Amino acid sequence: MTEPPQTAEPTPAPDSPAQGAVQAPAPQTPAAVRRRAVLAGTAVSALLILAIVLGSRLLRDFDSALLPYAVATVFLAFGVAHRYTVWVSAPGARRLFRQGWRSFFSAANFRKAPTALPKMIATYLGFQKFLGARSHARWAAHQLLFWGCVLAALITFPLTWGWFTFTSDTGDGPGYEMRIWGFKILGFDALSVLGWLMFHGLDIAAVLVIAGASYFLWRRMKDRGAITGQRFAYDLIPLIALIVISVTGLLLTFSSIFLHGGGYEFLAILHMVSVVFTLIYIPFGKFFHIVQRPAAVGMQLFKYTSRRKDEELRTCRRCHEPIDTPDYVENLRGTMKDLKLDFDEWAEYCPRCKRVLRGNAYLTHVKKGFK
Amino acid sequence: MMGRTIFIDPGRCIGCQACVSACRECDSHRGKSMIHLDYPDEGHSVASLPTVCMHCEDPVAPCAEVCPADAILVTADGVVQQADTTRCIGCANCVNACPFGVPKIDLQAKLQMKCNLCYDRTAYGLAPMCATVCPTGALFYGTLDELRAERPGVQVADSFTFGDVVVHTGVAMVVPADKVQWPVPGGLPVVEINGRDVR
Repeated sequence: MTEPPQTAEPTPAPDSPAQGAVQAPAPQTPAAVRRRAVLAGTAVSALLILAIVLGSRLLRDFDSALLPYAVATVFLAFGVAHRYTVWVSAPGARRLFRQGWRSFFSAANFRKAPTALPKMIATYLGFQKFLGARSHARWAAHQLLFWGCVLAALITFPLTWGWFTFTSDTGDGPGYEMRIWGFKILGFDALSVLGWLMFHGLDIAAVLVIAGASYFLWRRMKDRGAITGQRFAYDLIPLIALIVISVTGLLLTFSSIFLHGGGYEFLAILHMVSVVFTLIYIPFGKFFHIVQRPAAVGMQLFKYTSRRKDEELRTCRRCHEPIDTPDYVENLRGTMKDLKLDFDEWAEYCPRCKRVLRGNAYLTHVKKGFK
Repeated sequence: MMGRTIFIDPGRCIGCQACVSACRECDSHRGKSMIHLDYPDEGHSVASLPTVCMHCEDPVAPCAEVCPADAILVTADGVVQQADTTRCIGCANCVNACPFGVPKIDLQAKLQMKCNLCYDRTAYGLAPMCATVCPTGALFYGTLDELRAERPGVQVADSFTFGDVVVHTGVAMVVPADKVQWPVPGGLPVVEINGRDVR
């Protein structure tokens, strides 16, 4: 451990504004945030209903048997938009949200590094490389869970909205046509490999999800680190819900192939209840991280963009070790000011120097015997 | 009013690093120590300062307040937990906003980690790993009454000044009797760096 140099800059007067700090936006009252959240939720739900009506060709392609699922997605849209609005209204998220989108829409940024954003989306959102740094097993299980859920969502959401249709001129196949919004996309033979994949996509998704969720459930019961602080409603219910959805979905296929439809109606209701519950739960529990995770891309893009300005990193005022980009530090200082954490100047010292300076102050002013 | 918590007495710390080693055994961050042991005047003094999370109560958890992902939760008993692994985006806002320099970050894993008062132990009434192994009592876990039963007349402070701001914490520090009515200086504004006056 080396001593920092003796050339630390004196601190500015406490009331001097941070250089280049973004001015604090007008404070928002909780009532105003709630009002905006309800408006956003209502607008997104209304748009989804309109998209369902138009996409299903004025409900001609809408499958009324899937109505509970479609209604649940409308509630889901309301809940996600509502919570998202509340979330991005908090000072920390609001500033990062603005900086992220500013970087996203920056034409200069796009010209300089056109591949940066797609690469970040693939790395953080698709392959979730950061999870591999936490644990290889968790990364593998999460990939199974993630791709299983993505596949299931891509199939079921458009189906429940009446956007996808599978029709046969002969009534019972094997030649089928797949249409999206009424437009023919492809024709296939139900007995071919493609046909099997088309009709068993959800079974494949269920197998992926069961494998991933089972690992996480096992970990939640065995891993002492995971058990610390875990909560049933937050950590276990989502895994149980995913497994119930997948198992009941597979049982539907089992019933139709091996039981000639025995118990199908009961299983269909059980499956529907588990899916509807999970969709409505998404905005309120652990699944909201699906909506939040893109913020990681926004944050990385913001830091990446400010690094490319060729400015030197902001260094600790005492030891001159790098802290982060000047834009990032100013953004944080702005956030702290918004929150009335008026020691934002402290953000320009590295964590070690903060501790050492506190230790020095204790030595000097509190307990000289400590020396 | 503080209940069962950690009391830090830097005057008793001998810098043995037992707390650092024991912290690695905590189930919630196995293999990684979350306690900091610094030598404020290295080369001139043997003084050492152990730093655990102070579990700020007012303003409540600045690390959690600046978190853009709502990843840091404060439990009903006032313990500021480490970042929720599902939510943390690794932005380091908490690392740089914490007035005590406590949180650590793994940039590859996009994950913040910090002392959570050994929640797996303290939630069941056991002392945190660091206080369990500290040979000199520089880190004491218990109530103020229990501390005073062992050290009659000891005074503690649970407020720290950073410039004009006073931060009240859940974890307290031992202070001399004549200093108890004042908040402990947190090091800001910086008036002296390595013996040099920078006012």
